[in-house]
Amino acid sequence: MHIAEGYLPPLHAAAWGAASAPFVIHGARALSREVKSHPESTLLLGASGAFTFVLSALKIPSVTGSCSHPTGTGLGAILFRPPAMAVLGTITLLFQALLLAHGGLTTLGANAFSMAIAGPWAGYAVYRLLRRLALPPMVCVFFGAFAADLSTYCVTSVQLALAFPDPSSGFAGALAKFGGIFAVTQIPLAVSEGLLTVLVMRLLSQSSTGELVRLGVLAPARPDSTEAVAR
Amino acid sequence: MLPIDAAAHRSGWRHRHPLEKAVLGLGLTLSAVCLPAWPGAPLVAAAALLVLLGPARVPGRQLWRAFRVPLGFCVTGAVPLLFQIGGTGGLVTWAPDGPGEATRLLLRTSAASLGVLLFAFTTPVSDVLPRLVRAGVPAPVVDVALVMYRISFLLLDTVGQIRQAQAARLGHTSRAAAWRSLAGQGATVFVRAFDRAQRMQAGLAGRGYDGTLRVLVPTAAVSARFLGATAGLLAGIGVLTLVLERFVL
Repeated sequence: MHIAEGYLPPLHAAAWGAASAPFVIHGARALSREVKSHPESTLLLGASGAFTFVLSALKIPSVTGSCSHPTGTGLGAILFRPPAMAVLGTITLLFQALLLAHGGLTTLGANAFSMAIAGPWAGYAVYRLLRRLALPPMVCVFFGAFAADLSTYCVTSVQLALAFPDPSSGFAGALAKFGGIFAVTQIPLAVSEGLLTVLVMRLLSQSSTGELVRLGVLAPARPDSTEAVAR
Repeated sequence: MLPIDAAAHRSGWRHRHPLEKAVLGLGLTLSAVCLPAWPGAPLVAAAALLVLLGPARVPGRQLWRAFRVPLGFCVTGAVPLLFQIGGTGGLVTWAPDGPGEATRLLLRTSAASLGVLLFAFTTPVSDVLPRLVRAGVPAPVVDVALVMYRISFLLLDTVGQIRQAQAARLGHTSRAAAWRSLAGQGATVFVRAFDRAQRMQAGLAGRGYDGTLRVLVPTAAVSARFLGATAGLLAGIGVLTLVLERFVL
């Protein structure tokens, strides 16, 4: 899903950088305010970012028998909210470019837009919408993670189609071409990531209720109730 | 520690100022992206390889292991350019200039990746992050990135240990077991990350933590000679590319 270094023409790379900037700056300001008012949040946010980075190192068994890795954007957005993910995701992408040679620096803006902005916002919107419809929490988590993964892949396809329109059918043809090629791997992966996110959330709701309450994912337990109720 | 960062700590240019290496590495990357792919990209790639394997003393085998990752992405990304959709010959046909465009893209992305690898293989991330404050990045964001960087390695080690323990207990023998094990890895890493953050918080509070993480940054002066040579190299590549493109090729 990462667009490789040098893949985008200079103008496109700059334009996607400019498109990502407001979200990242907004997230950075929110993060700075949070750290200034609660200095202890630095470590918690750092741990959250590290968790997002390490999530992308886990290998998912894919439908075809090979392995791939989750984007972690859906889980990150549900746990830490999209504005925080814009910053944490961008830092993660920077680390991936420098430490793992995944993605790149000229394509950082484009990758941040798809993976740290569009994916988390889409996933979080779907999650919140389904929660409002009073669906079971794990169904919401599945579709949130699925939507985050799928929207990341759709935005990446749009970015590539804009950069390399089809010689015959232009943008629409290129979108079908890139989307079609990615769909073979990404739709099964989105399902896989949705399932994995549900399993992780189930384990977390059993073992880390306190942390989930602190992050606002679970509502604090009422005095007369022993169980935390999902928001 | 991840292989690229470990190699950066051992690099021959480890003690050079990060700005010098950023100007060179990222300058080469920008040259690869902005100059005509032929013959610009091969020239950029040759210059990056000469510096990496020469003065920067990066082992060739390590460089190849790191480079084959972006190379795989580049090849996969170039394949769609070979085809077109909706031409006169049918729904999916060969694109008229498909091979040419795919080759140019492959050259450009390979050369650009080598430029970034030049920076990554010579500059540890721990040298770059504290200096970002001077570049205008808010200090709290840099602090969070520093904590992320430190904890990531510990968590990656943890994931490896958990995976080994799960394998020893036949945790990957069936598809269902593999999924359970994978979810266990994700959840355990989450718990460990927060546990570690809480313990670090307690430790820092005991040392009078006031909200800023002070780290020692190795002192290094920016060499005007190095920057001059870099500017000369980049200008030389640019001029040579344009001359070769116009008058020779």
